[in-house]
Amino acid sequence: MDLRNSQFLFIGFTAAWVIPMVYLILLNLRDRKLRRELDRVKRMVEQSTKP
Amino acid sequence: MPGFLRAALAIAAKDLRSELRTKEVLNASLAFSVTILLLFSFAFDPSSEELQQIGGGLLWMVFAFAGALTLNRSFARETQNDCLDALIASPASSSALYFGKALANFALLMAIEVFCLLVFGLFYNARLAAQFGTIILVIALGTWALTVIGTMFSALTVNLRLRELMLPTLVYPLMIPALMAAMTLTTDLLAGTPINNENRIWLRVLLAFDVIFTALATFFVDTVLVG
Amino acid sequence: MSESTVRDKVLFGLAGFAAILLTWNLHTIFLVMPDELNQGAIWRIFFFHVPAALLGLTGFGLGMIFSLTYLFTNNLRYDAIAESIIEVALVFAAVNLVTGSIWARIIWGIWWAWDARLTSMLVCWLIFAGYLMLRRAIDEPTQRARLSAVVSIFGAVDVVIVWKSIEWWRTQHPAPVLSIRNGGGMDPGMESTMYWNLLALFCFAVVLVMVRMRQARISQEIDSLRRLAHSY
Repeated sequence: MDLRNSQFLFIGFTAAWVIPMVYLILLNLRDRKLRRELDRVKRMVEQSTKP
Repeated sequence: MPGFLRAALAIAAKDLRSELRTKEVLNASLAFSVTILLLFSFAFDPSSEELQQIGGGLLWMVFAFAGALTLNRSFARETQNDCLDALIASPASSSALYFGKALANFALLMAIEVFCLLVFGLFYNARLAAQFGTIILVIALGTWALTVIGTMFSALTVNLRLRELMLPTLVYPLMIPALMAAMTLTTDLLAGTPINNENRIWLRVLLAFDVIFTALATFFVDTVLVG
Repeated sequence: MSESTVRDKVLFGLAGFAAILLTWNLHTIFLVMPDELNQGAIWRIFFFHVPAALLGLTGFGLGMIFSLTYLFTNNLRYDAIAESIIEVALVFAAVNLVTGSIWARIIWGIWWAWDARLTSMLVCWLIFAGYLMLRRAIDEPTQRARLSAVVSIFGAVDVVIVWKSIEWWRTQHPAPVLSIRNGGGMDPGMESTMYWNLLALFCFAVVLVMVRMRQARISQEIDSLRRLAHSY
Protein backbone atom coordinates (compact mmCIF):
# COMPACT_ATOMS: atom_id res chain seq x y z
CA MET A 1 0.00 0.00 0.00
CA ASP A 2 1.24 3.42 -0.96
CA LEU A 3 2.10 5.16 2.26
CA ARG A 4 2.39 8.77 1.11
CA ASN A 5 0.12 11.10 3.06
CA SER A 6 -0.57 8.28 5.47
CA GLN A 7 -0.37 10.76 8.31
CA PHE A 8 -3.35 12.62 6.90
CA LEU A 9 -5.14 9.35 6.34
CA PHE A 10 -4.65 8.58 10.00
CA ILE A 11 -6.02 12.00 11.01
CA GLY A 12 -8.94 11.51 8.65
CA PHE A 13 -9.84 8.12 10.02
CA THR A 14 -9.44 9.33 13.57
CA ALA A 15 -11.84 12.17 12.86
CA ALA A 16 -14.27 9.79 11.14
CA TRP A 17 -14.37 7.66 14.26
CA VAL A 18 -13.97 10.18 17.07
CA ILE A 19 -17.10 12.08 16.03
CA PRO A 20 -19.52 9.11 16.24
CA MET A 21 -17.79 7.88 19.40
CA VAL A 22 -18.27 11.24 21.09
CA TYR A 23 -21.91 11.09 20.05
CA LEU A 24 -22.27 7.61 21.53
CA ILE A 25 -20.83 8.84 24.81
CA LEU A 26 -23.25 11.76 24.82
CA LEU A 27 -26.15 9.38 24.09
CA ASN A 28 -25.05 7.22 26.97
CA LEU A 29 -24.88 10.13 29.37
CA ARG A 30 -28.32 11.29 28.31
CA ASP A 31 -29.64 7.76 28.71
CA ARG A 32 -28.45 7.60 32.29
CA LYS A 33 -29.84 11.05 33.07
CA LEU A 34 -33.22 10.08 31.62
CA ARG A 35 -33.41 6.85 33.58
CA ARG A 36 -32.62 8.68 36.80
CA GLU A 37 -35.31 11.23 36.00
CA LEU A 38 -37.80 8.47 35.15
CA ASP A 39 -37.20 6.72 38.48
CA ARG A 40 -37.58 10.00 40.32
CA VAL A 41 -40.87 10.84 38.63
CA LYS A 42 -42.22 7.31 39.15
CA ARG A 43 -41.48 7.65 42.85
CA MET A 44 -43.24 11.02 42.83
CA VAL A 45 -46.36 9.45 41.32
CA GLU A 46 -46.33 6.63 43.86
CA GLN A 47 -46.05 9.06 46.72
CA SER A 48 -48.94 11.22 45.54
CA THR A 49 -51.21 8.20 45.03
CA LYS A 50 -50.44 6.64 48.44
CA PRO A 51 -52.48 8.51 51.04
CA MET B 1 -58.31 38.65 -2.35
CA PRO B 2 -59.29 42.30 -1.73
CA GLY B 3 -59.97 41.39 1.91
CA PHE B 4 -56.52 39.91 2.26
CA LEU B 5 -54.83 42.86 0.65
CA ARG B 6 -56.80 45.38 2.66
CA ALA B 7 -55.95 43.62 5.91
CA ALA B 8 -52.29 43.32 4.98
CA LEU B 9 -52.03 46.98 4.01
CA ALA B 10 -53.81 48.04 7.19
CA ILE B 11 -51.34 46.10 9.28
CA ALA B 12 -48.41 47.42 7.26
CA ALA B 13 -49.65 50.97 7.79
CA LYS B 14 -50.08 50.36 11.52
CA ASP B 15 -46.55 49.01 11.88
CA LEU B 16 -45.02 51.83 9.86
CA ARG B 17 -46.96 54.49 11.76
CA SER B 18 -45.95 53.01 15.09
CA GLU B 19 -42.32 52.81 14.03
CA LEU B 20 -42.19 56.32 12.60
CA ARG B 21 -43.64 57.67 15.82
CA THR B 22 -40.79 56.40 17.97
CA LYS B 23 -38.12 55.71 15.33
CA GLU B 24 -36.35 53.37 17.79
CA VAL B 25 -35.52 50.67 15.31
CA LEU B 26 -34.85 53.09 12.48
CA ASN B 27 -32.34 55.07 14.48
CA ALA B 28 -30.64 52.02 15.93
CA SER B 29 -30.28 50.31 12.54
CA LEU B 30 -29.10 53.45 10.77
CA ALA B 31 -26.55 54.26 13.44
CA PHE B 32 -25.29 50.70 13.45
CA SER B 33 -25.00 50.41 9.67
CA VAL B 34 -23.34 53.75 9.09
CA THR B 35 -20.86 53.10 11.91
CA ILE B 36 -19.81 49.80 10.41
CA LEU B 37 -19.44 51.31 6.96
CA LEU B 38 -17.30 54.12 8.34
CA LEU B 39 -15.16 51.75 10.39
CA PHE B 40 -14.50 49.64 7.33
CA SER B 41 -13.63 52.68 5.27
CA PHE B 42 -10.85 53.37 7.77
CA ALA B 43 -9.68 49.79 7.65
CA PHE B 44 -9.45 49.59 3.88
CA ASP B 45 -8.05 51.99 1.36
CA PRO B 46 -11.18 53.15 -0.52
CA SER B 47 -9.47 53.37 -3.87
CA SER B 48 -7.91 49.94 -3.79
CA GLU B 49 -8.75 47.02 -6.00
CA GLU B 50 -9.55 44.87 -2.97
CA LEU B 51 -12.38 47.14 -2.04
CA GLN B 52 -13.96 46.68 -5.44
CA GLN B 53 -13.98 42.97 -4.79
CA ILE B 54 -15.37 42.99 -1.28
CA GLY B 55 -17.67 45.99 -1.61
CA GLY B 56 -20.76 43.95 -2.43
CA GLY B 57 -20.07 41.50 0.37
CA LEU B 58 -19.51 44.27 2.86
CA LEU B 59 -22.74 46.06 1.95
CA TRP B 60 -24.81 42.92 2.33
CA MET B 61 -23.24 42.02 5.63
CA VAL B 62 -24.23 45.45 6.90
CA PHE B 63 -27.74 44.99 5.49
CA ALA B 64 -28.07 41.55 7.07
CA PHE B 65 -27.04 42.74 10.52
CA ALA B 66 -29.21 45.86 10.36
CA GLY B 67 -32.01 43.62 9.13
CA ALA B 68 -31.72 41.33 12.13
CA LEU B 69 -32.19 44.32 14.43
CA THR B 70 -35.30 45.45 12.58
CA LEU B 71 -36.88 42.05 12.00
CA ASN B 72 -36.49 40.90 15.57
CA ARG B 73 -38.79 43.69 16.68
CA SER B 74 -41.39 42.88 14.07
CA PHE B 75 -43.48 40.40 16.03
CA ALA B 76 -41.81 41.07 19.34
CA ARG B 77 -43.44 44.48 19.60
CA GLU B 78 -46.87 42.81 19.69
CA THR B 79 -46.19 40.79 22.82
CA GLN B 80 -47.00 43.72 25.09
CA ASN B 81 -50.62 44.06 26.18
CA ASP B 82 -51.54 40.83 24.37
CA CYS B 83 -51.56 42.62 21.05
CA LEU B 84 -50.43 39.49 19.24
CA ASP B 85 -53.37 37.47 20.52
CA ALA B 86 -55.71 40.26 19.50
CA LEU B 87 -54.23 40.36 16.01
CA ILE B 88 -54.49 36.61 15.60
CA ALA B 89 -58.08 36.63 16.84
CA SER B 90 -59.00 39.43 14.43
CA PRO B 91 -60.72 38.68 11.11
CA ALA B 92 -57.41 39.19 9.34
CA SER B 93 -55.90 35.83 8.41
CA SER B 94 -52.45 34.89 9.70
CA SER B 95 -51.16 35.19 6.16
CA ALA B 96 -52.49 38.75 5.90
CA LEU B 97 -50.92 39.59 9.27
CA TYR B 98 -47.62 38.13 8.10
CA PHE B 99 -47.75 39.83 4.74
CA GLY B 100 -48.58 43.20 6.26
CA LYS B 101 -45.64 42.97 8.64
CA ALA B 102 -43.38 41.83 5.83
CA LEU B 103 -44.38 44.85 3.74
CA ALA B 104 -43.70 47.24 6.61
CA ASN B 105 -40.33 45.61 7.32
CA PHE B 106 -39.45 45.74 3.64
CA ALA B 107 -40.20 49.45 3.48
CA LEU B 108 -38.11 50.16 6.58
CA LEU B 109 -35.21 48.03 5.42
CA MET B 110 -35.20 49.54 1.92
CA ALA B 111 -35.09 53.03 3.41
CA ILE B 112 -32.14 52.10 5.62
CA GLU B 113 -30.33 50.33 2.82
CA VAL B 114 -30.71 53.03 0.19
CA PHE B 115 -29.30 55.47 2.73
CA CYS B 116 -26.40 53.09 3.40
CA LEU B 117 -25.82 52.71 -0.31
CA LEU B 118 -25.43 56.46 -0.67
CA VAL B 119 -23.07 56.59 2.33
CA PHE B 120 -21.12 53.74 0.77
CA GLY B 121 -20.95 55.58 -2.55
CA LEU B 122 -19.65 58.63 -0.77
CA PHE B 123 -16.98 57.10 1.41
CA TYR B 124 -15.87 54.31 -0.87
CA ASN B 125 -15.89 56.24 -4.13
CA ALA B 126 -18.09 53.59 -5.65
CA ARG B 127 -19.48 54.20 -9.10
CA LEU B 128 -23.18 54.00 -8.41
CA ALA B 129 -24.49 55.86 -11.41
CA ALA B 130 -23.47 53.29 -14.00
CA GLN B 131 -25.87 50.55 -12.95
CA PHE B 132 -28.00 52.39 -10.41
CA GLY B 133 -31.36 51.01 -11.51
CA THR B 134 -30.12 47.44 -11.53
CA ILE B 135 -28.40 47.93 -8.17
CA ILE B 136 -31.69 49.07 -6.66
CA LEU B 137 -33.45 46.09 -8.23
CA VAL B 138 -30.93 43.64 -6.76
CA ILE B 139 -31.12 45.33 -3.37
CA ALA B 140 -34.90 45.14 -3.49
CA LEU B 141 -34.89 41.43 -4.36
CA GLY B 142 -32.30 40.64 -1.72
CA THR B 143 -34.11 42.71 0.89
CA TRP B 144 -37.37 40.95 0.12
CA ALA B 145 -35.57 37.62 0.69
CA LEU B 146 -34.27 38.84 4.03
CA THR B 147 -37.69 40.24 4.94
CA VAL B 148 -39.58 37.07 4.07
CA ILE B 149 -37.33 34.80 6.10
CA GLY B 150 -36.80 37.29 8.91
CA THR B 151 -40.47 38.12 9.42
CA MET B 152 -41.39 34.44 9.30
CA PHE B 153 -38.86 33.54 11.95
CA SER B 154 -39.74 36.58 13.99
CA ALA B 155 -43.22 35.05 14.19
CA LEU B 156 -41.79 31.64 14.98
CA THR B 157 -39.53 32.83 17.79
CA VAL B 158 -41.87 35.45 19.27
CA ASN B 159 -42.73 33.47 22.40
CA LEU B 160 -39.38 31.82 22.97
CA ARG B 161 -37.01 32.40 25.85
CA LEU B 162 -33.90 33.09 23.81
CA ARG B 163 -35.55 34.99 20.99
CA GLU B 164 -32.70 37.42 20.28
CA LEU B 165 -30.29 34.49 19.95
CA MET B 166 -32.55 32.09 18.06
CA LEU B 167 -33.58 34.52 15.34
CA PRO B 168 -30.12 35.13 13.86
CA THR B 169 -29.13 31.48 14.41
CA LEU B 170 -32.03 30.30 12.30
CA VAL B 171 -32.18 33.11 9.74
CA TYR B 172 -28.55 33.46 8.67
CA PRO B 173 -27.93 29.90 7.47
CA LEU B 174 -31.22 29.98 5.56
CA MET B 175 -30.24 33.29 3.97
CA ILE B 176 -26.95 31.95 2.61
CA PRO B 177 -28.09 31.28 -0.98
CA ALA B 178 -29.84 34.65 -1.24
CA LEU B 179 -26.91 36.49 0.31
CA MET B 180 -24.44 34.70 -1.99
CA ALA B 181 -26.49 35.77 -4.99
CA ALA B 182 -26.99 39.34 -3.79
CA MET B 183 -23.33 39.78 -2.84
CA THR B 184 -22.04 38.49 -6.17
CA LEU B 185 -24.45 40.62 -8.16
CA THR B 186 -23.81 43.76 -6.12
CA THR B 187 -20.05 43.38 -6.38
CA ASP B 188 -20.31 43.08 -10.15
CA LEU B 189 -22.73 45.98 -10.46
CA LEU B 190 -20.64 48.27 -8.26
CA ALA B 191 -17.69 47.56 -10.53
CA GLY B 192 -19.80 48.74 -13.43
CA THR B 193 -20.37 45.30 -14.95
CA PRO B 194 -23.95 44.90 -16.17
CA ILE B 195 -26.00 41.71 -15.84
CA ASN B 196 -24.41 39.37 -18.33
CA ASN B 197 -24.37 35.67 -19.03
CA GLU B 198 -21.94 35.11 -16.18
CA ASN B 199 -23.95 36.54 -13.33
CA ARG B 200 -27.48 36.23 -14.66
CA ILE B 201 -27.70 32.88 -12.91
CA TRP B 202 -27.48 34.61 -9.55
CA LEU B 203 -30.34 36.92 -10.47
CA ARG B 204 -32.42 33.84 -11.23
CA VAL B 205 -31.38 32.28 -7.93
CA LEU B 206 -32.50 35.41 -6.08
CA LEU B 207 -35.84 35.46 -7.88
CA ALA B 208 -36.40 31.76 -7.28
CA PHE B 209 -35.53 32.19 -3.61
CA ASP B 210 -37.98 35.07 -3.25
CA VAL B 211 -40.85 33.26 -4.97
CA ILE B 212 -40.34 29.92 -3.24
CA PHE B 213 -39.97 31.26 0.25
CA THR B 214 -42.77 33.81 -0.03
CA ALA B 215 -45.05 30.91 -0.96
CA LEU B 216 -43.71 28.67 1.81
CA ALA B 217 -43.95 31.38 4.43
CA THR B 218 -47.49 32.41 3.51
CA PHE B 219 -48.48 28.74 3.70
CA PHE B 220 -46.82 27.94 7.01
CA VAL B 221 -47.26 31.14 8.99
CA ASP B 222 -50.66 29.99 10.22
CA THR B 223 -49.10 26.78 11.58
CA VAL B 224 -46.51 28.84 13.37
CA LEU B 225 -48.80 31.46 14.89
CA VAL B 226 -51.86 29.41 15.66
CA GLY B 227 -51.08 25.69 15.37
CA MET C 1 -42.50 -6.49 27.80
CA SER C 2 -41.55 -8.83 24.99
CA GLU C 3 -41.69 -6.00 22.47
CA SER C 4 -38.73 -4.31 24.10
CA THR C 5 -36.69 -7.51 24.24
CA VAL C 6 -37.33 -8.09 20.54
CA ARG C 7 -36.19 -4.52 19.95
CA ASP C 8 -33.10 -5.06 22.04
CA LYS C 9 -32.28 -8.23 20.12
CA VAL C 10 -32.65 -6.42 16.81
CA LEU C 11 -30.49 -3.60 18.16
CA PHE C 12 -27.67 -5.87 19.27
CA GLY C 13 -27.94 -7.95 16.14
CA LEU C 14 -27.65 -4.94 13.89
CA ALA C 15 -24.80 -3.49 15.94
CA GLY C 16 -22.92 -6.78 15.82
CA PHE C 17 -23.48 -7.11 12.09
CA ALA C 18 -22.31 -3.54 11.52
CA ALA C 19 -19.18 -4.11 13.62
CA ILE C 20 -18.24 -7.28 11.78
CA LEU C 21 -18.91 -5.75 8.38
CA LEU C 22 -16.90 -2.65 9.26
CA THR C 23 -13.93 -4.71 10.38
CA TRP C 24 -14.07 -6.74 7.16
CA ASN C 25 -14.30 -3.54 5.14
CA LEU C 26 -11.29 -2.03 6.87
CA HIS C 27 -9.36 -5.09 5.79
CA THR C 28 -10.54 -4.61 2.21
CA ILE C 29 -9.92 -0.87 2.22
CA PHE C 30 -6.36 -1.10 3.44
CA LEU C 31 -5.07 -4.33 2.01
CA VAL C 32 -7.10 -5.11 -1.09
CA MET C 33 -7.88 -1.75 -2.70
CA PRO C 34 -5.22 -0.64 -5.18
CA ASP C 35 -3.17 2.53 -4.83
CA GLU C 36 -4.12 5.77 -6.44
CA LEU C 37 -1.66 7.62 -8.64
CA ASN C 38 -1.18 10.97 -7.01
CA GLN C 39 -2.77 11.09 -3.61
CA GLY C 40 -0.96 8.40 -1.71
CA ALA C 41 -2.84 6.83 1.13
CA ILE C 42 -5.37 9.57 1.79
CA TRP C 43 -7.78 8.56 -0.97
CA ARG C 44 -8.96 5.64 1.13
CA ILE C 45 -10.86 8.11 3.28
CA PHE C 46 -13.29 8.09 0.35
CA PHE C 47 -14.90 4.93 1.71
CA PHE C 48 -16.09 6.84 4.76
CA HIS C 49 -16.43 10.30 3.30
CA VAL C 50 -19.03 9.40 0.66
CA PRO C 51 -21.25 7.07 2.74
CA ALA C 52 -21.27 9.71 5.48
CA ALA C 53 -22.52 12.27 2.95
CA LEU C 54 -25.21 9.93 1.61
CA LEU C 55 -26.40 8.99 5.07
CA GLY C 56 -26.36 12.59 6.26
CA LEU C 57 -28.36 13.94 3.34
CA THR C 58 -30.81 11.04 3.39
CA GLY C 59 -31.27 11.62 7.10
CA PHE C 60 -32.05 15.28 6.65
CA GLY C 61 -34.46 14.49 3.82
CA LEU C 62 -36.24 11.86 5.90
CA GLY C 63 -36.29 14.26 8.82
CA MET C 64 -38.13 16.79 6.71
CA ILE C 65 -40.62 14.16 5.51
CA PHE C 66 -41.37 13.02 9.04
CA SER C 67 -41.73 16.65 10.11
CA LEU C 68 -44.32 17.16 7.39
CA THR C 69 -46.03 13.94 8.48
CA TYR C 70 -46.22 15.26 12.01
CA LEU C 71 -47.81 18.50 10.81
CA PHE C 72 -50.48 16.55 8.96
CA THR C 73 -51.20 13.94 11.64
CA ASN C 74 -50.35 15.76 14.90
CA ASN C 75 -48.94 12.48 16.16
CA LEU C 76 -45.90 13.24 18.32
CA ARG C 77 -44.37 9.88 17.41
CA TYR C 78 -43.40 11.29 13.98
CA ASP C 79 -41.82 14.28 15.66
CA ALA C 80 -39.68 11.94 17.78
CA ILE C 81 -38.62 10.01 14.68
CA ALA C 82 -37.73 13.22 12.87
CA GLU C 83 -35.67 14.48 15.78
CA SER C 84 -33.76 11.21 16.16
CA ILE C 85 -33.00 10.89 12.47
CA ILE C 86 -31.87 14.50 12.19
CA GLU C 87 -29.60 14.23 15.19
CA VAL C 88 -27.87 11.13 13.80
CA ALA C 89 -27.71 12.75 10.35
CA LEU C 90 -25.85 15.69 11.92
CA VAL C 91 -23.20 13.29 13.22
CA PHE C 92 -22.67 11.77 9.79
CA ALA C 93 -22.71 15.17 8.09
CA ALA C 94 -20.03 16.33 10.53
CA VAL C 95 -17.91 13.30 9.63
CA ASN C 96 -18.40 14.15 5.96
CA LEU C 97 -17.38 17.77 6.41
CA VAL C 98 -14.30 17.00 8.49
CA THR C 99 -13.04 14.15 6.27
CA GLY C 100 -13.77 16.26 3.20
CA SER C 101 -11.76 19.13 4.58
CA ILE C 102 -8.78 16.91 5.42
CA TRP C 103 -8.93 15.31 1.99
CA ALA C 104 -9.21 18.69 0.26
CA ARG C 105 -6.11 19.84 2.11
CA ILE C 106 -4.15 17.11 0.34
CA ILE C 107 -5.68 17.29 -3.10
CA TRP C 108 -6.20 21.01 -3.47
CA GLY C 109 -3.88 22.38 -0.80
CA ILE C 110 -6.74 24.25 0.85
CA TRP C 111 -8.90 23.34 3.82
CA TRP C 112 -12.11 24.50 2.22
CA ALA C 113 -13.63 25.23 -1.20
CA TRP C 114 -16.98 26.72 -2.08
CA ASP C 115 -18.15 23.94 -4.34
CA ALA C 116 -21.78 22.83 -4.54
CA ARG C 117 -21.53 19.78 -2.35
CA LEU C 118 -19.37 21.09 0.48
CA THR C 119 -21.31 24.36 0.73
CA SER C 120 -24.69 22.63 0.67
CA MET C 121 -23.59 20.21 3.35
CA LEU C 122 -22.29 23.02 5.53
CA VAL C 123 -25.47 25.07 5.16
CA CYS C 124 -27.51 21.93 5.83
CA TRP C 125 -25.52 21.22 8.98
CA LEU C 126 -25.94 24.78 10.25
CA ILE C 127 -29.68 24.80 9.62
CA PHE C 128 -30.36 21.48 11.29
CA ALA C 129 -28.05 22.28 14.19
CA GLY C 130 -30.30 25.33 14.57
CA TYR C 131 -33.26 22.93 14.50
CA LEU C 132 -31.85 21.11 17.53
CA MET C 133 -31.05 24.38 19.29
CA LEU C 134 -34.61 25.54 18.74
CA ARG C 135 -35.98 22.32 20.24
CA ARG C 136 -33.88 22.85 23.32
CA ALA C 137 -35.42 26.29 23.76
CA ILE C 138 -39.05 25.07 23.79
CA ASP C 139 -40.47 23.04 26.68
CA GLU C 140 -43.99 22.38 25.53
CA PRO C 141 -43.99 19.22 23.33
CA THR C 142 -46.59 20.16 20.72
CA GLN C 143 -45.24 23.67 20.27
CA ARG C 144 -41.73 22.25 20.02
CA ALA C 145 -42.79 19.69 17.43
CA ARG C 146 -44.77 22.22 15.39
CA LEU C 147 -42.14 24.99 15.25
CA SER C 148 -39.17 22.72 14.65
CA ALA C 149 -41.11 20.97 11.87
CA VAL C 150 -41.46 24.30 10.05
CA VAL C 151 -37.71 24.95 10.46
CA SER C 152 -36.89 21.51 9.07
CA ILE C 153 -39.06 22.09 6.00
CA PHE C 154 -37.60 25.52 5.33
CA GLY C 155 -34.14 24.05 5.83
CA ALA C 156 -34.59 21.21 3.37
CA VAL C 157 -35.90 23.55 0.66
CA ASP C 158 -33.04 25.95 1.31
CA VAL C 159 -30.40 23.25 0.92
CA VAL C 160 -31.84 22.25 -2.44
CA ILE C 161 -31.65 25.89 -3.56
CA VAL C 162 -28.02 26.17 -2.42
CA TRP C 163 -27.08 22.96 -4.18
CA LYS C 164 -28.77 23.87 -7.43
CA SER C 165 -27.47 27.41 -7.59
CA ILE C 166 -23.83 26.53 -7.02
CA GLU C 167 -24.14 23.64 -9.44
CA TRP C 168 -25.49 25.94 -12.16
CA TRP C 169 -22.77 28.44 -11.48
CA ARG C 170 -20.08 25.77 -11.46
CA THR C 171 -21.06 24.57 -14.91
CA GLN C 172 -19.58 27.86 -16.03
CA HIS C 173 -16.66 27.70 -13.64
CA PRO C 174 -15.65 24.06 -13.42
CA ALA C 175 -13.91 23.26 -10.18
CA PRO C 176 -12.23 20.12 -8.89
CA VAL C 177 -14.58 17.53 -7.56
CA LEU C 178 -13.76 15.09 -4.82
CA SER C 179 -14.06 11.74 -6.51
CA ILE C 180 -12.06 8.96 -8.05
CA ARG C 181 -13.80 8.82 -11.34
CA ASN C 182 -11.62 7.75 -14.23
CA GLY C 183 -13.27 8.94 -17.41
CA GLY C 184 -16.79 8.88 -16.07
CA GLY C 185 -16.85 5.57 -14.32
CA MET C 186 -15.48 4.28 -11.09
CA ASP C 187 -13.49 1.10 -10.87
CA PRO C 188 -16.16 -1.54 -10.11
CA GLY C 189 -14.07 -3.03 -7.33
CA MET C 190 -13.89 0.32 -5.59
CA GLU C 191 -17.57 0.96 -6.09
CA SER C 192 -18.64 -2.31 -4.51
CA THR C 193 -16.37 -1.75 -1.51
CA MET C 194 -17.94 1.65 -1.05
CA TYR C 195 -21.40 0.12 -1.09
CA TRP C 196 -20.39 -2.50 1.46
CA ASN C 197 -19.16 0.26 3.73
CA LEU C 198 -22.34 2.19 3.08
CA LEU C 199 -24.29 -0.83 4.29
CA ALA C 200 -22.17 -1.14 7.43
CA LEU C 201 -22.50 2.54 8.24
CA PHE C 202 -26.21 2.43 7.45
CA CYS C 203 -26.71 -0.36 10.03
CA PHE C 204 -24.70 1.68 12.48
CA ALA C 205 -26.91 4.70 11.77
CA VAL C 206 -30.09 2.66 12.27
CA VAL C 207 -28.78 1.46 15.63
CA LEU C 208 -28.08 5.04 16.68
CA VAL C 209 -31.54 6.20 15.58
CA MET C 210 -33.20 3.34 17.45
CA VAL C 211 -31.32 4.17 20.65
CA ARG C 212 -32.15 7.84 20.25
CA MET C 213 -35.82 7.03 19.66
CA ARG C 214 -35.96 4.98 22.80
CA GLN C 215 -34.66 8.01 24.66
CA ALA C 216 -37.32 10.17 23.04
CA ARG C 217 -39.97 7.74 24.21
CA ILE C 218 -38.60 7.69 27.77
CA SER C 219 -38.61 11.47 27.69
CA GLN C 220 -42.27 11.54 26.67
CA GLU C 221 -43.08 9.03 29.41
CA ILE C 222 -41.37 11.26 31.95
CA ASP C 223 -43.39 14.24 30.74
CA SER C 224 -46.72 12.45 31.05
CA LEU C 225 -45.85 10.93 34.44
CA ARG C 226 -44.83 14.34 35.71
CA ARG C 227 -48.13 15.77 34.59
CA LEU C 228 -49.90 12.86 36.29
CA ALA C 229 -48.00 13.44 39.52
CA HIS C 230 -48.86 17.12 39.55
CA SER C 231 -52.54 16.47 38.90
CA TYR C 232 -53.00 14.71 42.24
